[in-house]
Amino acid sequence: MTVQTLPAAAPDDISLRPVPWRRMAGVIWRQHRYALIGEIAVLGAVAVVLWLIGTSLHHDYAAALACRPAGSQACAETALTFSGSFAFLANGGILQPLPVLVGAFVGGPLLARELETGTFRYAWTQGFGRRRWALAKLVSLAVAVTVPALLFSLELAWYYQPYFATRNQAYDLTEMTPLYPALFDLHGVVFAAWTLAAFAIGGLAGMLIRRVVPAIAAAMAVYVGLAFATGAFLREHYLAPLVTTGSLNLPNSAWILSQWWTKGGAVVSPTTMNHVIDNTFTSVNPAVNSPGQKFLAYQGILQYLTEHGYTYWTRYQPGTRYWPFQWIESGWLLALSALCIAAAVWLVRRRAA
Amino acid sequence: MTAVTMPAAHEDNENPRPVPWRRMAGIIWRQHRYALIGVAVLLGALSLYLAVAGASMHHAYATALACRPANSFACQNQVIDFNTAYAPTAQTIGVLLMAVPMLIGAFVGAPVLARELETGTFRYAWTQGFGRRRWTVAKLVPLGVIVAVAAGLFSLLFSWYYQPLFTDGDSIPLDPKLFGVRGVVYAAWTLAASAVGASAGLLIRRVVPAIAVTLAFCVALTFAAGLYLRPHYETPVLGKNLASAPASAWVLNGWWTKDGTTISQSAMNQVETTLFQQTMTATVPKNVNSDNIKFYKGSANTQVQDYLYRHGYAQWTSYQPASRFWPFQWIEGGWLLALSVLLIAATVWLVGRRAV
Repeated sequence: MTVQTLPAAAPDDISLRPVPWRRMAGVIWRQHRYALIGEIAVLGAVAVVLWLIGTSLHHDYAAALACRPAGSQACAETALTFSGSFAFLANGGILQPLPVLVGAFVGGPLLARELETGTFRYAWTQGFGRRRWALAKLVSLAVAVTVPALLFSLELAWYYQPYFATRNQAYDLTEMTPLYPALFDLHGVVFAAWTLAAFAIGGLAGMLIRRVVPAIAAAMAVYVGLAFATGAFLREHYLAPLVTTGSLNLPNSAWILSQWWTKGGAVVSPTTMNHVIDNTFTSVNPAVNSPGQKFLAYQGILQYLTEHGYTYWTRYQPGTRYWPFQWIESGWLLALSALCIAAAVWLVRRRAA
Repeated sequence: MTAVTMPAAHEDNENPRPVPWRRMAGIIWRQHRYALIGVAVLLGALSLYLAVAGASMHHAYATALACRPANSFACQNQVIDFNTAYAPTAQTIGVLLMAVPMLIGAFVGAPVLARELETGTFRYAWTQGFGRRRWTVAKLVPLGVIVAVAAGLFSLLFSWYYQPLFTDGDSIPLDPKLFGVRGVVYAAWTLAASAVGASAGLLIRRVVPAIAVTLAFCVALTFAAGLYLRPHYETPVLGKNLASAPASAWVLNGWWTKDGTTISQSAMNQVETTLFQQTMTATVPKNVNSDNIKFYKGSANTQVQDYLYRHGYAQWTSYQPASRFWPFQWIEGGWLLALSVLLIAATVWLVGRRAV
């Protein structure tokens, strides 16, 4: 009985087998260890500071919640202590540059340094292949940058937690919406996604500009523009905003986008409305004097106007959309990063060594 | 009659006259034009934003102020609405602008020497007829002055932009988040950051690490200045039994004492809570609706406070009054200028010592 012979074991001997991927690990570590150590050092230092002041913040918060009876001078003071505690961090602005600093300083020099110093001529003509070289570096460093950022954002989420608790109102503490634009990208998976995007933008900018410092600066500029545009214009449209007429029952977790009055279906201008409110106020509540009483009376006026044909509209995003919004933003940032990395790899392949 | 002859015109012929300073201008421009253009673009773009946003904010504030009669509910409400609409954004912008001096210092200052040292071109540059120390002075001083002046002009624009929120009492001038962006200190921080960048560049001799170290150092210095140094530029004013500190004062601390000894916050809370409950029991009528109890709390708190003041307790507040804004500006501007001069002098001295 005849059997077919097995094919020869090594038909690809003629062309050399490419260097295996894992060999790149050592090269990547040696070339980028200072950038990675720098990233860990920066995030680690901020994490230690945040942990120290966060412990004190949570302590002040617990004291404010434990205070009885609410409304007494003593409780007002504990509430004040909490809201004054590290107030410079409360609106998040100071921490906003962290993702771009980490991302641009690791991503910007990645390809630009080889191109600026001319070492790309050596690096890209090795047995590993230039496209695989670029891909191995960009992808593994992208992961190395994103994972610490993700861990760091867990700590941020813990730090900012007291500001979003729904029970705050009952203790005369401010409750912020988790969708507050300057904090949304700091506490959740989006922080890591923005860091990844900054890295990928830096990598592509390095390939296009071919000089390290301009590439870092350009990546920062693009990132700032993108982050600003997202917070100011894009994010509120991820899901269609809700519109309600019951603005007084709106929870504090809602992110209010705009408010306006209508009468009989037509929008009333704010100036006209102020006159209407003022006239109603003097006719309905002529005896009210102190500002505190005025505010309570104002709610009565709203009630009165609603009964007389006026409607107060509020366009908002409910706080329950926090996680859907996080995933939507992370999703498109991930896609953008993948696109930037793919473009950089494609450009590496096209460029004459 | 004999007269003293004029000295020969070319006595110093054997020793060539050094290249004049003004010849450096072209070199500085050619070597650092991209950095300077980058600064101009950054500040220009931010100025454009501040001009547009500021015009809309000033317009909204003028509308709120034009409302008559000014003490009516609707008009007061307009001012509150103005604050709600504009203050959070303006405050965030203020905090973010604190990063600009650091970025300018890092990206303009750090590469000046680090780039020459990293690429080796310092061997050529420092052995020319101009002299390496003069070369360093001629680069660091004009670059520092240019970026500082640009930043100073920009901070004038920010002061104009933010003005309505100071006028209506929403913000205080000594607020740590705003102090550094107004007055003379914005320019001083930019100069200091550039000087830090230049010395970091000389010590580290590599561009990107020098930029990173400059950023880290400037962030730490800004925090240290705002949190630990600035409250002590002048001895804080101590207020006793103030119902509230003067408006626009920067309140640093508050505590209670009884007969001269300080009482801890938690002990004081207990005293106040006990008194508050006694007062409420005594003053709130039995038949009052539970929704309206809150109207009695304010007067109960006042009674508790009066009681404490009459029984040996004293409430202390330490604060910096708003009138100290300009003295503080000059103090901070002064030490930042001294720091910059010192760093630049040390850098020039080290350049002279270094073997080429």
